[in-house]
Amino acid sequence: MMWRWWREVKDILAGPVRFWRASLLTRTVTITALLSGVAVTVIGGYMSLTIQSSLFSSRLDQVVAESVRTSNQIQAIFDNSVTPQGTIDVETANSSAQTAIRTNQSVPGAGGFAILRTPGQITAQTMTSTSTSGLDLEILSTRLRQAVVQSPDQLHQQSVGLTVEGQVVPAVVVGSVIQVPTAGSYELYLIYDFSDVQSTLNLVQQTLIVGSILLVLIIALFTWLVVRLAIRPVKKAAQTAERFAQGFLDERLNVRGHDVIATLARSFNEMAQSIESQLVRLGKLSRLQQRFVSDVSHELRTPLTTIRLAADVLNGRRDQLDAESARSLELLLTQIERFESMLTDLLEMSRYDAGAVNIDREPINVVEIVQDCLDQLAPLAEQKGSPLLLEVFGGYGEVEADPRRLRRIVLNFIGNAIDHGESRPIVTFIDSNEQAVAIAVRDWGVGMDEREVSRVFDRFWRADPSRQRSTGGTGLGLAIAQEDALAHDGRIDVWSEPGVGTCFRVVLPRSIHSSVNDSPLPLPPETDLVDVEGRLVDATEMSPS
Amino acid sequence: MTPTILVVDDDQALAEMITIMLRGEGFDTHHAEDGPVALEQLEEVNPDVVLLDVMLPGMDGMDVCAKIRETSGVPIIMLTAKSDSADVVQGLENGADDYVVKPFNPKELVARIRARLRPSPETNEPQVTLIQIADVEIDVPGHEIRRGGTRINLTPLEFQLLLTLALKPQQVFTREVLLEQVWGYQYKADTRLVNVHVQRLRSKIELDPDNPVIVETIRGVGYRSGKAVTPPEATPSE
Repeated sequence: MMWRWWREVKDILAGPVRFWRASLLTRTVTITALLSGVAVTVIGGYMSLTIQSSLFSSRLDQVVAESVRTSNQIQAIFDNSVTPQGTIDVETANSSAQTAIRTNQSVPGAGGFAILRTPGQITAQTMTSTSTSGLDLEILSTRLRQAVVQSPDQLHQQSVGLTVEGQVVPAVVVGSVIQVPTAGSYELYLIYDFSDVQSTLNLVQQTLIVGSILLVLIIALFTWLVVRLAIRPVKKAAQTAERFAQGFLDERLNVRGHDVIATLARSFNEMAQSIESQLVRLGKLSRLQQRFVSDVSHELRTPLTTIRLAADVLNGRRDQLDAESARSLELLLTQIERFESMLTDLLEMSRYDAGAVNIDREPINVVEIVQDCLDQLAPLAEQKGSPLLLEVFGGYGEVEADPRRLRRIVLNFIGNAIDHGESRPIVTFIDSNEQAVAIAVRDWGVGMDEREVSRVFDRFWRADPSRQRSTGGTGLGLAIAQEDALAHDGRIDVWSEPGVGTCFRVVLPRSIHSSVNDSPLPLPPETDLVDVEGRLVDATEMSPS
Repeated sequence: MTPTILVVDDDQALAEMITIMLRGEGFDTHHAEDGPVALEQLEEVNPDVVLLDVMLPGMDGMDVCAKIRETSGVPIIMLTAKSDSADVVQGLENGADDYVVKPFNPKELVARIRARLRPSPETNEPQVTLIQIADVEIDVPGHEIRRGGTRINLTPLEFQLLLTLALKPQQVFTREVLLEQVWGYQYKADTRLVNVHVQRLRSKIELDPDNPVIVETIRGVGYRSGKAVTPPEATPSE
């Protein structure tokens, strides 16, 4: 379950991740935006805190100063209300004190006050405790009141939450004690609404946040512009290099100015120039060489034709020759044949090297072609004592291939098997699937070690130069066979073990549209016809085809 | 009468060897070492077959071939050192009937010369005298092709090709069958011979060679002639 979930996440992320990796621009802009976002947040936070504390403290100073003034004034009002007779109308004094407080409270917004009798005293008369209407006395905490009572000489302040129209706003309560003559000590609480400070702070913070976001956006935009500007030449260089790699050797960069990009462009151009000239030189050399091989082969053909005609004319008068002359003539004729096939192979090879090979695909029957090849080589195989067997699992359908080239491949495989087969049986296998057809030729002969197998397709390479060859091979056979297979988009594989045997297998696609990823035949294929020792399992039934 | 072969080759040794070999086979031979001499000799000796090397000094074999074709329908066999398609096709397009690639098997060369000398078996048999396909008349005994009374010049091989197709109107001939019946080859030869000659034939007899009506292509199979206006069967002499 877990892995499935993980896979889904990975699938969802795959797109953005790929984009992230692919786009330098996106990466740069994103990183810059994130980093500047962090920086702006830190600076903005610091600014916000500083502004907040200085706003509050200056307001608090103002409030405290005002409280002191108010408190003194109230005390004075009460003190002055004492008549010369020593009596006092406390209620009248109280109401004039209230008026004074209201006039004094300069702070905007909801404020308030409370004059509360300090509990627990017995006096001549009692003044009514008053407070601003609607003021919830609960906000005056016991601790504050205690502190006020205990040290009446000091001002006490406390931050509270004031409920105004259903909303809690910050406020500060400043408490002091006033002595009302004949009525004892009363606590004076002045409440100051700080909501305007808060709203100023909110405004500042909002401005800061909006400003920060805008700043980050602008930085991102500028980064995008600058990076784009800086990347463009690099991008162009990358595209040019890519096209150059694709083989457009005349691609060059424009050099402008003297900056690092210009240096890059210049170096790139120099490199491209050098590569191009090297390639052109190599191409010319290689063409010259191919041309040479082709010309030599062609030039040799005319004298070879003459020699061949002469030998043929002599051959017609063979009966007039003595035994040794006749044998010499015979040798001459066979060597002319060999020379001819060598020339043909050389030309074919030079054609492949020059890339001047067209394969003529036509619908063919692989089994028929292999059968033809077996028939052609049967006399030679018989001479060497190797029974030729054919095991067909499939491949009866039509395959689009060049019959001449396929025949050449198969003849080469079987010819090699006869040469190195130690007179043991040789089995040719054919099988096919939807995509491909495979032909494998297995012998139980001398085999090759790994080093030899790795060189088997090299031109003019021979496994054992001292071995007698009967097929008159040119040493180019397998090299050409491999080119033939490649020209069909097919391939040739080889398996071999010293003393056990060798198997060559060619896999060709059924048509241009097929592929040869899966071979229809394993390497080497299993067979019931021959045992591991290379003996025919049932010699009476299996005769050479 | 011994058939005369004109051997055009600048390589003295090869020319001499071919001459010896052909004399041994009972041919009369003449040798020309380059193009201009070959054209002169053509007038003088009136050969039955020309063996023409493609690579000649000065005037190249292709040009010689085209020059010969201007005046004569004599069978031409090209000798080429290159079996590359382009070379062979160019030679055939220039009017050669056939080609052999050096180094050739002498017997094969002789077989091909004989095939060019031998009047095709088909021409002897039919009693047909006149076949008309589309607007073209084939005068079999006269070896002539006419369109509206105007004679069209064909080489003997081209005539043979057209006649083979026209004798069985609408019947499809594969390239292999044509090689056997027209060229006289029993073995598998290059089917490009047929393609190139059909194209040459069309360029001479078709009003619009791109949309042929006399020699039609049957894709993937071969060729056939158009419907005969006067079918060969209708001739009373049969």
